[in-house]
Amino acid sequence: MIRFILADLRKYWLGSAVVVLIVALAVALGVAVTLQERALRLGSARAADKFDLVIGAAGSENQLVLSSVFLQASPLPLMDGRVLTQLASDPRVAWAAPIGFGDSFMGYPIVGTTTALVNNLADGLAEGKVFAREGEAVIGASVALKLGDQIKPMHGAAEEGGHTHAELAYRVAGRLKPTGTAWDRAVLVPIQAVWHIHGMGHHDEAEVERNHDAHGEAAEAHEHHAADPDATISETWDADVPGLPAILVKPKSIADAYKLRQQYRAGTTLAVFPAEVLTRLYATLGDAKRVLFAVATGSQGLVAASVLLVTVMHVGQRRRQIGALRALGAPRRALFSIVWLELFVLVAMGLAAGFALGYAAALAVSGMVASGSGVSIPVNFARDDIGFAVALLAFAALISSVPAVLAYRQSPASALRG
Amino acid sequence: MLSLTLSDISVSYPGLATPALEIDRLAIPAGAHVAITGASGSGKSTFVNIVTGLERARQGRIDWSGTDIAKFSESRRDRWRAEDVGLIMQDFHLFPGLSALENVLLPARLSGAASAEIIGRGHDLLKRTGLQRPQQRIETMSRGEMQRVAVARALLRKPGVIIADEPTASLDVESGEAVGSLLLELAGQEESTLIVVSHDTRLTDRLSRKVTFNMGRIVSDTGRMERAA
Ligand SMILES: Nc1ncnc2c1ncn2[C@@H]1O[C@H](COP(=O)(O)OP(=O)(O)O)[C@@H](O)[C@H]1O
Ligand SMILES: [Mg+2]
Repeated sequence: MIRFILADLRKYWLGSAVVVLIVALAVALGVAVTLQERALRLGSARAADKFDLVIGAAGSENQLVLSSVFLQASPLPLMDGRVLTQLASDPRVAWAAPIGFGDSFMGYPIVGTTTALVNNLADGLAEGKVFAREGEAVIGASVALKLGDQIKPMHGAAEEGGHTHAELAYRVAGRLKPTGTAWDRAVLVPIQAVWHIHGMGHHDEAEVERNHDAHGEAAEAHEHHAADPDATISETWDADVPGLPAILVKPKSIADAYKLRQQYRAGTTLAVFPAEVLTRLYATLGDAKRVLFAVATGSQGLVAASVLLVTVMHVGQRRRQIGALRALGAPRRALFSIVWLELFVLVAMGLAAGFALGYAAALAVSGMVASGSGVSIPVNFARDDIGFAVALLAFAALISSVPAVLAYRQSPASALRG
Repeated sequence: MLSLTLSDISVSYPGLATPALEIDRLAIPAGAHVAITGASGSGKSTFVNIVTGLERARQGRIDWSGTDIAKFSESRRDRWRAEDVGLIMQDFHLFPGLSALENVLLPARLSGAASAEIIGRGHDLLKRTGLQRPQQRIETMSRGEMQRVAVARALLRKPGVIIADEPTASLDVESGEAVGSLLLELAGQEESTLIVVSHDTRLTDRLSRKVTFNMGRIVSDTGRMERAA
């Protein structure tokens, strides 16, 4: 019987291949959507996990999270530098690190911050040491530079027509271990150096630059200031800290986290739990997700219907062959099995290929996201997927039984009629 | 060896003024070699369908050596036919992609009846039909060779009756002659009853009895005349 089925499939190999292909494509679409949606959710949740509490100036919560967690450049409003001074001495705070953006190097965002963040962001350094002087930088795991390489900061991003700062070139002093977040693509430098380049902080010009935004839209008013690469950095904050776009805060306990958020939500500042903001973002994306799933399910339904149509017609064409087999003494259940198995094997092959294809597609998308943003989004099958596969197989078994029943009911007398 | 007794058979199709087949009585003794002839549309294939149980008889008896298959259910008729009837059809109904031997064994395999003995018999039958290469793919064979494979397949399970519907109609004269000889020879050796439906007189003339149909009715029967004489 197996030989007979194989011979049959060989005879109709083109049609069989098309059936396998369209089933595979429809399944791949569903699998890719499912896997990618889950990967995106898990990956970004994991990326946000690193950051318990983010404080910024009053404004958009989403923008604050996107800029600080995913390093997506957007002009953030600045908050008073005294917030950092306050947080640094708050007993509920384990550490608080300011971050300042605006410069980039070879497409990698340069983030001004303090050793507190460098020490806590990853599981330590993969090589080198933490920056100690204004001219030193620590790079994320996937930045394609070596220890000792020079980094000439570019103001803004190159695509936006930024210009190179000539005042200071950083030297790579250390590299962090991978974190699977956007920060793997970041170049971390002392925030003091950023201030000096832009002429802020510890200088009289601080007044002039009060309104300088991190993105440098006020380019005309932009003055450059020489900085000393060998100056040691100081991380004790006096009252004269310049305006800051965001501060990453590690509270000592969950209760402290809620209290801090409460306190800094008022007035001119904004405090958010990134994980919570992301959850809300996903909720608003839920409709798009449902549309995608509906499209995937719809295409699977269409494919099921067309496969059914093709095979029913096919059984019609083979009326005489099936009748002859019965006339020659093949029992009806054998004919049922043959037709059922033929179709089921094809659809099952399509399913397997579809899962492989969907997985590959999801991996490809993840790879693109990872190289673009640094956020590693893990593509994994979950227990639910087994259920999905079993449901599809059961559906395939059901679909296959339609032409099989037709074959079962085929009159054997037709074999003799011309 | 099976004998056949038909009585009160009448088969009608919607849209046909007269029955496609109407037989009050027909007896074929066990081991007889009978030709059924008649013009196209005279009811010959209907006759084959009825006596092999491919089609259900709504009335009358189809008595094969004491077993009335008209009373059988569809599955029961299938099983009976698989065991007791060797069927040969005009268009061979062989399956491309399989070898000659695989084709001979296919129905038995699908019925779960392909014992070692049956497989050995398959080899033997192919040899007796004059085919040298049991592994040859069926689609590479000539039409005459194909029909010989079909004959071997029909005989595989030692059926009590061999029924052939126009076995030579799609063959050239020479191959038709050879297949006719083979049928007669093997039916004799196997001691099977043989019923050959054909309007090929070269074939029907070689059988001892000839039953002629016209418009569904038996219009002449050499066997009955002999007995009457
Ligand atoms: N399923 C059917 N429905 C209607 N008419 C049929 C059917 N099968 C056969 N017939 C008619 O019955 C008559 C006998 O057909 P058949 O037994 O095939 O003749 P033969 O084999 O002698 O050529 C023909 O007129 C044919 O058209
Ligand atoms: Mg006919």
